[in-house]
Amino acid sequence: MSGCLRYLPLREKHIEYGAKWGQFGPWEVPLYYSSILEEHEAVRKRAGLFDISHMGKFIFEGPGAAAFLDGFLPRPIQKMDQGKALYMPLLNPGGKIIDDIILYRLGESRFLMIVNAANTEKDFRWIQSKLPCSAAFIFQNPSDEYGLLALQGPKSVRILQQAFGSKSVPPLQYYEAKLWDWGVIARTGYTGEDGFEFMFHCSKLAEAWEKLFRAGAGEGLCPAGFGARDTLRLEAAMRLYGHEMNEETSPLEAGIEWAVDWDKESFEGREPLSKEKKEGSAKRLAGFEMVDRGIPRQDCAIQKGGRILGKVTSGSFSPTLKKNIGLGYVPAAEAFAGNRIEVVIRHKPAQAQIVKLPFYHRPKSNP
Amino acid sequence: MKYPKELKYTKTHEWVRREGGKVTAGITDYAQHEISDVVFVEIPKVGQAAQREKPISVVESVKAAFDIYAPVSGKVTKVNTELESDPGRVNHDCYGEGWFFELEMADEREWQSLMTAEEYENSLKQEAK
Repeated sequence: MSGCLRYLPLREKHIEYGAKWGQFGPWEVPLYYSSILEEHEAVRKRAGLFDISHMGKFIFEGPGAAAFLDGFLPRPIQKMDQGKALYMPLLNPGGKIIDDIILYRLGESRFLMIVNAANTEKDFRWIQSKLPCSAAFIFQNPSDEYGLLALQGPKSVRILQQAFGSKSVPPLQYYEAKLWDWGVIARTGYTGEDGFEFMFHCSKLAEAWEKLFRAGAGEGLCPAGFGARDTLRLEAAMRLYGHEMNEETSPLEAGIEWAVDWDKESFEGREPLSKEKKEGSAKRLAGFEMVDRGIPRQDCAIQKGGRILGKVTSGSFSPTLKKNIGLGYVPAAEAFAGNRIEVVIRHKPAQAQIVKLPFYHRPKSNP
Repeated sequence: MKYPKELKYTKTHEWVRREGGKVTAGITDYAQHEISDVVFVEIPKVGQAAQREKPISVVESVKAAFDIYAPVSGKVTKVNTELESDPGRVNHDCYGEGWFFELEMADEREWQSLMTAEEYENSLKQEAK
């Protein structure tokens, strides 16, 4: 990988909106515009708009695409209804996580796969290596031609309808997706709130951004950066590749077994995974709240009675809960709610307690 | 951004106010703005020895932790415990309610080596280049 920074297609727009820049892998991204706390609160109470154009986008289109994907993905693809989205891990033959993705079925033989930006090239090569020579469908990586925006928060539906006209916006339930005049729209997200993710051609991206802001001005819509995206997903206990997941972790260990369908007789990595299920996983991802003062950070050691249990994978102050929280791996036998552990912060052990995940559930009053 | 004339400054972005043989310190307007939302402060203990230019306190934003350095050597005589429950004071009033600690200076000559507001502002301009 080159040392060059990669820029978002809406870079000028972000400057106009006052972005403070940060870096995410090789990408220059808006860390925040006003402040992480304000943007976090805007998403929980009103709405925020994220530019997540850095993410990888793969297209599968043509006869045999569904059967091909069904051959290795851990959830049933041929049975998947059109207009549905599915979250799942991409597994290697050892049952470990290559990436976590969302697959959208946009037509009978048309699929969109959104992958983590840092894994785009790796995933593309890996999927390509599985392609049969006789494949009658196309497999493409048009990641640079399209941008992704995420509108998240309880006011998302209202803002969306005002921005594009309620008649032109297709009705969508959670985890449904459609092709529409503007591109692809899906009711998915990474914040724990209701909301939408859009894929637009880069030529339409700035116009869509402006439309959403004009409609959202009265509803308190804020541009939201990667800082808030991280605290929002952490409160909702959504795993982040490179932190909670990598090629040494299995979906059982990472606590995303629900995204693996055991009814499927075969998929890549099924055998070692099913062996792990029978014998039990060595480690488990656990969420904890700090009891003592201190903010846990990635790589802080987790211990108990002087014995090292594992490491923190993500940690932060939780703006919604006003507590310091974290995720980390511990031996499976230690991963139970109520267990007292210690997190070593700046060489000092601080008391913490394992809690049930997620840390934050959206209230029933939020749609 | 404001840099009151009656205060002195360090290159590590602390401000220092002198009253007789004692100094009060906190972080500058520039620092609080760069750090953004302060969500955690670790203050020193009263009676603790402070060594000039050595870390004595920690301030954390949502994303990261930053060391705060002792502007002069001496002994900690007072700390702002309010910051533990309301760290946002560092953002809202960095030269007032957001103060960190008070030190009894060991060597008054160290006061002379601190930067004036004008010198600090110039150093920020240099840093920006």
